[in-house]
Amino acid sequence: MSITIPIGPQHPALKEPISLKMTFDGEIIKDADIRLGYNHRGLEKLFEGKSYVQNIYVTERICGICSHSHTTCFVNGVEKLLGIEIPKRASYIRMLIGELERVHSHLLWLGVAGHEAGFESFFMYTWRDREIVMDILEESSGNRVHYAINTIGGVRRDIDETQRTRILNSLKILKERTDYYKNLGTTEPSFVARLSGIGILPREQALSLCSVGPTLRASNIDMDVRKDDPYLAYDEVPFEVSTADTCDVLGRTVVRIKELFQSYNIIEYILRNLPAGDIKAKVPRKVPAGETVSRYEAPRGENIHYIKSNGTEKPERLKVRAPTLANYPATVAMLKNGFIADIPLIFAAIDPCICCAERMVEVKDTKTGRAEIKTFDELKKYSRDFYKNHKKIKKDTVWPF
Amino acid sequence: MAILKTFFYLLVYPGLVFLIVYSLFCEWFDRKTYARLQNRRGPLHTGKAGLLQPAADLIKLFSKEDIVPEKADRIMFTALPVFGLAIILTSAMYLPIWNYSMTKTGFNSFPGDIIVLIYLLSLPTIILFLAGWHSTSFFSTIGGVRVITMFFGYEIPLLLSVLSPAILAGSWRLAEIAQFFQANPGLLSVNVIGFFIALAALQAKLERTPFDIPHAETEIVGGTFTEYTGRKLAFFRLITDIEMVVGSGLIATVFLGGFPGGIFSSFIWFIIKTLFVIFLLSVIKAAFSRLRIDQMVRFSWYILAPLGILQIFITLLVKLKF
Amino acid sequence: MMEKSLISRLKEFLAEKIVESANPSKRRIFIKVLPENLPDTIQILKEKTGFTHLSTITGVDKGETFEILYHFANKIAVLTVRTEVPAGKPEIKTITKIIPGAILYERELQDMFGIKVMEIPDPRPLILPDGWPEGNYPLRKNWKYQRPEEIIPGGGK
Repeated sequence: MSITIPIGPQHPALKEPISLKMTFDGEIIKDADIRLGYNHRGLEKLFEGKSYVQNIYVTERICGICSHSHTTCFVNGVEKLLGIEIPKRASYIRMLIGELERVHSHLLWLGVAGHEAGFESFFMYTWRDREIVMDILEESSGNRVHYAINTIGGVRRDIDETQRTRILNSLKILKERTDYYKNLGTTEPSFVARLSGIGILPREQALSLCSVGPTLRASNIDMDVRKDDPYLAYDEVPFEVSTADTCDVLGRTVVRIKELFQSYNIIEYILRNLPAGDIKAKVPRKVPAGETVSRYEAPRGENIHYIKSNGTEKPERLKVRAPTLANYPATVAMLKNGFIADIPLIFAAIDPCICCAERMVEVKDTKTGRAEIKTFDELKKYSRDFYKNHKKIKKDTVWPF
Repeated sequence: MAILKTFFYLLVYPGLVFLIVYSLFCEWFDRKTYARLQNRRGPLHTGKAGLLQPAADLIKLFSKEDIVPEKADRIMFTALPVFGLAIILTSAMYLPIWNYSMTKTGFNSFPGDIIVLIYLLSLPTIILFLAGWHSTSFFSTIGGVRVITMFFGYEIPLLLSVLSPAILAGSWRLAEIAQFFQANPGLLSVNVIGFFIALAALQAKLERTPFDIPHAETEIVGGTFTEYTGRKLAFFRLITDIEMVVGSGLIATVFLGGFPGGIFSSFIWFIIKTLFVIFLLSVIKAAFSRLRIDQMVRFSWYILAPLGILQIFITLLVKLKF
Repeated sequence: MMEKSLISRLKEFLAEKIVESANPSKRRIFIKVLPENLPDTIQILKEKTGFTHLSTITGVDKGETFEILYHFANKIAVLTVRTEVPAGKPEIKTITKIIPGAILYERELQDMFGIKVMEIPDPRPLILPDGWPEGNYPLRKNWKYQRPEEIIPGGGK
């Protein structure tokens, strides 16, 4: 007897809406079908009505986790169309934020993998340490999620000496922790039993289904945009492309952990060799007519923007393809003949970002006026004062039962 | 006087009131331990150190809207939680706590009560399966089937492991087994393997990580409980909590020497020993990831069951030497 | 300079199929082919030059015509194969048989531009909702967003 069960659009395993129609025979998956569109915001249409500078902030809001990836990809393309070189320091800072973002995304993924496998302790630990990266990002860019550090021609904020040393110090803790997760994630028997041997994607299939990122690299294909098509200053930075040959979810975990170590090394290299100079070049408002393809290695894989300009302030067409969309065909192939229990793990193993894949969010206000900057301590003080003054109200409140 | 004593036994200690209060406390203890093992604080705000949080959760559930799905079997759907609670409250009566006499058999302590207790402890599993089945939703049905599949896995190892202290003590009466081990505490070390098998089996019975397969939320939403809301869900929560107390009480009786003494000293022993068992259960919960159903069944048949038989052999050898 | 040799090899293999070719910047190659030659071109690209990874398919509304761009990537360069179909008869042959991973991009193209992909194995809509009115293709330049009248199911008459 086979039954069809909808996984999603709303389901505890999915953090964002997507519909997976599964056909089961007992506990075995026989067929899977993906339906998108629950999160579609019509961003590509929106891009055409906004200026290039405004579009930086719209692209930033394609996704919450790889927000820097999309802006960098877009801004790199526009700079190519303009024919300008950005200052070296600016491209190093862009790379720094990009790598910090990768660290934060991979730590988040490790936690999600733990959660989907029912290993809540792993989830709690990795997310605790992810806060270290979030704090660094907040300190260097001002925001935890949408860093808004890119602008056409450079970056908007500089890294100073105290920040530099603080990041280097935090890296030490992160390295130590990641080492522990590497041991835990690849040796803990019940966790490994859940991860290994499921969601098999053989090398040939991975190639023919055009999957990208860690999913592809876990099938032993060393494709990494940073190596193949170096943007910014990645041709100057020494690093290795991490691969695994197991072709399963465990392989994808190992690839991500290896990439974490690579990212730590890149960040260290960037901070030790940060060139001096300007952080922003002067750019004209209008972009000459032309077209370009811009690629970026986001934490989830290859991110590609096609930009076509028509000589005005607004782009003629901006096509965005986020890594998750490229991995969906492979996901369907991986799900077949698996167990029900493996659905969340296999689906999570591509690190799905449904927002990204569907390119939504409408930006109400693209004017990023300089807001009041408060330090964390000031904020803490503010909250303490706030509650001190409000204590009386709390005491006299009559609770409804 | 005897009737008053029996009423006190049934309604206050260790009956209805004590069980409900203590099971809520155990839930708090479990949540707190689990949270501390995960670098969290756990419940904090309701009551001192969050002590009242489980009670608050329960009250909240009781006050929520009660929905019976259209396609569900209304009578069974409503009756099952009540049956389950009645069964699990009954099972607590057979733990040897103060109100028994070694010379006489009573309604709650007689030769063979160990089998009755195990039987009563396995009934809630059937209740869960039926609840899932009668909800008629996909997720509940799969959850129900998983409950029963797992049941075939852990029940035999549990029985085997509980059997070995009984063989050693030469009795089928819980009170006598406990008394035997109180007299010879050294012999407790014979049953170490059995103790760990029983812990694993109890963890599976309570459907906690790594055996929370029937209600794995990321896979099949709420499993058996998917369609349950409000009062009925609160009943199921209470069933699980009390099952944890009775289950750890059973383990404490046969493996840790029971609860000697009268009403007060038995009370202290009961709390110390069950909390110790629950602490171990929490550690297991924090240290592993969820298994797949086939891995779970393989684990119980290839590892737990042979170990259980090994335990019985060891026990028989020890018994022959004595 | 690897892309120079790549271009010459492309010209050798594809010969008269290439209508025009350009190399505007480092590691970026654009070639244009006629729509009827497209599947053959992609077959040759896949077998002879190692362009197995299709990054995405982009559609552009140019008024009279629709431009469809197939972005391929390998370790040497990013190759964009460009083709144009008339707006009056937007039809293109599928490449899913050659590159199975293209299916979602082709379905997206159908949804957003109304370009009919011939012989596509799975023609169902991918992104647009089920009740989407026929003949509305959001990414065409002449399509304007209009807020639909709100109907609350079961709420009032």
